[in-house]
Amino acid sequence: MIRFYLLAMGVFLTLGLIPKSHRLMNALAAGNAFFHLALTCAALLTLELPVRYGPTLYLDHLNLYVELITAVGFCAAAFYAKGYTESLMEAGELDPKNLKLFYLAFNLLLVMATAALFSDNLALFWVFAELTTVCAAVLVAILSARENIDAALKYVFIVSGAMLFAFLGLIFLFTLSAQVLGEGTLSWTELMENASGFSPALLLTSFAFAFIGFGAKAGVAPFHTWLPDAYARAPSVSAILSGLMQNLGIYGILRMYALLRVSEAASQASFILIAAGLFSIALAAFSMFQQRNLKRLIAFSSVEHMGLLLVGIGVGTSLALFWALFYMLVHVLVKEALLFAAGILHRQYRSNMREDMRDVFKLQPRAAWTLILGSVAIVGMPPFPLFPAKFFILLESAEISSYLTLAVLLLLILAAASFANFLLKAFSRVTAEGDGSEGGHGKETGYRKKSLQDPYVVRAGMRIPTVFMLALALLLGLWFPEPLRALLEAIVLELGYV
Amino acid sequence: MIEPLFLEGVIKILFVFVLISAALIISTRSLASVLTTYTVQSFLLAAVSFLLYLMEGKSELLLLAGLTLASKVLLIPHFIKRIEEKIKISRDLNFTYLEPTTSLLLSIGLILLSYAFLSRVFEAFALSKLFFFGAVIGLSLTLMGMLVMFSRRKVITKALGYLSMENGVLMFGIFVTELPFILEILIIIDLIILVLLTSILAVGLDSSIEEYRKKIRRLQVWNGGEAL
Repeated sequence: MIRFYLLAMGVFLTLGLIPKSHRLMNALAAGNAFFHLALTCAALLTLELPVRYGPTLYLDHLNLYVELITAVGFCAAAFYAKGYTESLMEAGELDPKNLKLFYLAFNLLLVMATAALFSDNLALFWVFAELTTVCAAVLVAILSARENIDAALKYVFIVSGAMLFAFLGLIFLFTLSAQVLGEGTLSWTELMENASGFSPALLLTSFAFAFIGFGAKAGVAPFHTWLPDAYARAPSVSAILSGLMQNLGIYGILRMYALLRVSEAASQASFILIAAGLFSIALAAFSMFQQRNLKRLIAFSSVEHMGLLLVGIGVGTSLALFWALFYMLVHVLVKEALLFAAGILHRQYRSNMREDMRDVFKLQPRAAWTLILGSVAIVGMPPFPLFPAKFFILLESAEISSYLTLAVLLLLILAAASFANFLLKAFSRVTAEGDGSEGGHGKETGYRKKSLQDPYVVRAGMRIPTVFMLALALLLGLWFPEPLRALLEAIVLELGYV
Repeated sequence: MIEPLFLEGVIKILFVFVLISAALIISTRSLASVLTTYTVQSFLLAAVSFLLYLMEGKSELLLLAGLTLASKVLLIPHFIKRIEEKIKISRDLNFTYLEPTTSLLLSIGLILLSYAFLSRVFEAFALSKLFFFGAVIGLSLTLMGMLVMFSRRKVITKALGYLSMENGVLMFGIFVTELPFILEILIIIDLIILVLLTSILAVGLDSSIEEYRKKIRRLQVWNGGEAL
């Protein structure tokens, strides 16, 4: 089945190379994302899960759920991409010749991620995850190639280097299974069935190695160093980096941890997860404080959220996992809205720096409000769904230690304060009416005039997904759909949490 | 038929050379000789895998030896050589965090560490002496490759560090277990990443020569680093 899928997608991608017009290329990319979304929904609604097709294709609630998040993120990003790339081309930051390559990498990334998620084999998962790294690096490098090469190279080296350690972990796991079962296997399902018989110490070793690789993919500290650069330099289209790549890493960690849970090493594994999670939150919170670059702020906020997710997974209760899974979805929605809005501001000011932003409400009121609402959502204020998610994860973390809860809470407050600090300082810069006020800031006059003169025209294709994602997040905060609850509960059961 | 004991002896000698090559990659300043060292290292890997094939007769090992020879000894060095020629930088003089002497001492520590670690891990497995040493060398090679990625500045040397990390993983894989097909795929991914690297760098090179070269020299992949 995977082979058929890859074959079909291969044909599709080659077809995608033919069209000349941007509109058509973009429509194909959006169509591809919708196609995946529709397939996932259909599978969720009709199939009796979990199902296996052939030796490698495996569908269960978890991978369908992650694929659902991915596909939603891709749909929005595909819409946004059109306007964003057009304005990049107008500004001469993107060579129109590279547009085809951009969409090729865009589509290929989705295909590779899908293949990674649905393969019932750790080795295949590893291979496809590596290929997503390559595609994502192309996406980072291609736009305004020169500035981004650096970020792309860093990304490839750190993530691929860390993934090699994950490969070592896989070799350990394979040997371990060969020792117990007679014949080695890397299939999730077989490993899940037999994990209780494996030697806990070795299982923990392979988990630790795999965690390095998948953690780097998820952007968990201390392997997060690629992330701020990739976010800051890459265009907002790479918001899919947050939606997809990071969740892919978390997905791998979830699966590996599920293996550990049935063995005796469960407590050590959850210690690793919680320690890494806490470290990520702390590091991110302190880096966000006084951060003056908007996209770096958002990037570090991603690190922080991955940390909180790890804490949620590591706590190991079914309630914490339930909310952590929900968190994965909402985080993507809100984070993409934030990055999209930040992209609009970047087009307006040609900069991500706080100092360069002036008269935001006059020039880009919608983007400004999206940023404000998105920040309110991302720090976990009540009407938005991150609030219950954070609340319950924190509540459950008290089961490990109340000091942990306290520490995480304080760090979250620090992160929230950094967002408030940034927004207040960036958005309160207003040029007074008339020319008289300009005397005071002589140096900046020229620039300010320019920025005041021409507000950047936001294309509808860029605005709609931004608003849509935020609205969806708000909706989820006000009303928790019953099917989603059933889906999440099924995942919790499948992963062996009782 | 060649005596297995003799083959084992040869493999052990090759191990020593592999370690020496890893140390050279850490400390050599001239880019051309780093590349040559990498080529030799890959050749050693291919030779080890071929000798193992002679000992055990598993056809996968022969395939692996062939693939390694084709990609890591011929294709990849050729690619990198072309990049080096285009960029016209022949030496990587600066080290970011660690001077070569320190890194060499550190890598001795890494070898001891992986020995201690693996001897504990593999207590449970009935691994013969040769295979155990192969695993230790593989793991140390991986760690030393990582050291190269951290301590060297230029992107090319970093890439070679990554590639030698991968050599280590391959070596580890050969000796610890026989993974069905994935080792070969690892090599192919290697190639893909390298082609990507080449094209990213080459695209920039073709577009505007002098300005780009200036810019690319200022690239910072890690703090205080400079590309190429």
